[in-house]
Amino acid sequence: MLFLAKAALGFGAILALSGAYVFHEGVIRVDVDETRGDCHHVHVWVPATVVPIALQVVPRVKLQQAAEQVRPYLPLLREIAKELQKYPNAELVDVQQPGQHVHVSVHDSRIFVDAVSDEDNIHVRVPVQIISDVADRLESVAPGV
Amino acid sequence: MNHVSRGFLSFSGSLLIAACAVLPPAGLAQNSSKADQWIHVRVESKDAEGETVRVNVPIEMAVKILPAINHDNLHGGKVRIDNAHLNDVDLLTLLDAVRSSKDGEYVTVQSNQDNVRVAKNAGYLYIHVNENPGKGKKHADAKDSSKESKVEIKVPMKVVDALFSAGNDELDVVAALRALSSSGDTELVSVKDDENTVRVWIDSKNISD
Repeated sequence: MLFLAKAALGFGAILALSGAYVFHEGVIRVDVDETRGDCHHVHVWVPATVVPIALQVVPRVKLQQAAEQVRPYLPLLREIAKELQKYPNAELVDVQQPGQHVHVSVHDSRIFVDAVSDEDNIHVRVPVQIISDVADRLESVAPGV
Repeated sequence: MNHVSRGFLSFSGSLLIAACAVLPPAGLAQNSSKADQWIHVRVESKDAEGETVRVNVPIEMAVKILPAINHDNLHGGKVRIDNAHLNDVDLLTLLDAVRSSKDGEYVTVQSNQDNVRVAKNAGYLYIHVNENPGKGKKHADAKDSSKESKVEIKVPMKVVDALFSAGNDELDVVAALRALSSSGDTELVSVKDDENTVRVWIDSKNISD
């Protein structure tokens, strides 16, 4: 009985710590709801920690192709990510017109992009740090492309 | 202490450590540079669409990001001016003349339909333009009278200096933003006409009014 209690305790502690590690960089959240046509609904919640690991297992050729395409924007992406970390809470852009509302803000070092219209609702939440990680990874696979 | 209590305490400790790892560093997060200046742009359209655009950007962030953008005439934080319109005007000389002159009104144009005023006062350059196409017309219709527009621009002279510091055919936007960030709270541009209201101002708030 005592052995089982200790095993359960150890398992619980490991679960809590691994959960803490997986979620310590936050969660990437993408919600897309369409009210027209086929009414697609996409809801993705991914721990941000997964992204750098996933980038390590993506075939290098694919990453190089991606890097070549976004190369001109990498310095800009890196600067934006670096600067946004200094402003963890900010309302950056807000555009409203009848039937449409686009809002870009930063809260707790996460970028919030909300685009709401009569036909589509799109909500994206991405930790700022992830942008920097992705830019660094793309730079490392294709330096000076 | 029995095994259950000891186990409970150990488990609670583990959870506490895990919680500390998960929670964002709130102290750091709230410590955003409070003294930073923000540039705000607000455009409100009065037409049927009623569009409203609000943009708030930290000046320091714009200063860092602009040099990373290379597009069309913008390179390294500087905008190349099309020389075609400046062939006969030496902007730097003109600017130097304004800078070294005493405070006063340099240009005043008054007509039935337009009022233009360019002045320098207490380190600021003022440009005011009032247009009223209907005014002065014998048979001004309602459409004309509703087209009144008012433009007010107030720019610190040191910002103007910084803007033209790159030479005659370039505007150094980054230098101008740096100068702007040390200018304190200022209303820079205000445009009001029958269709739109535009405001550009700087202050230390990270949201618009």
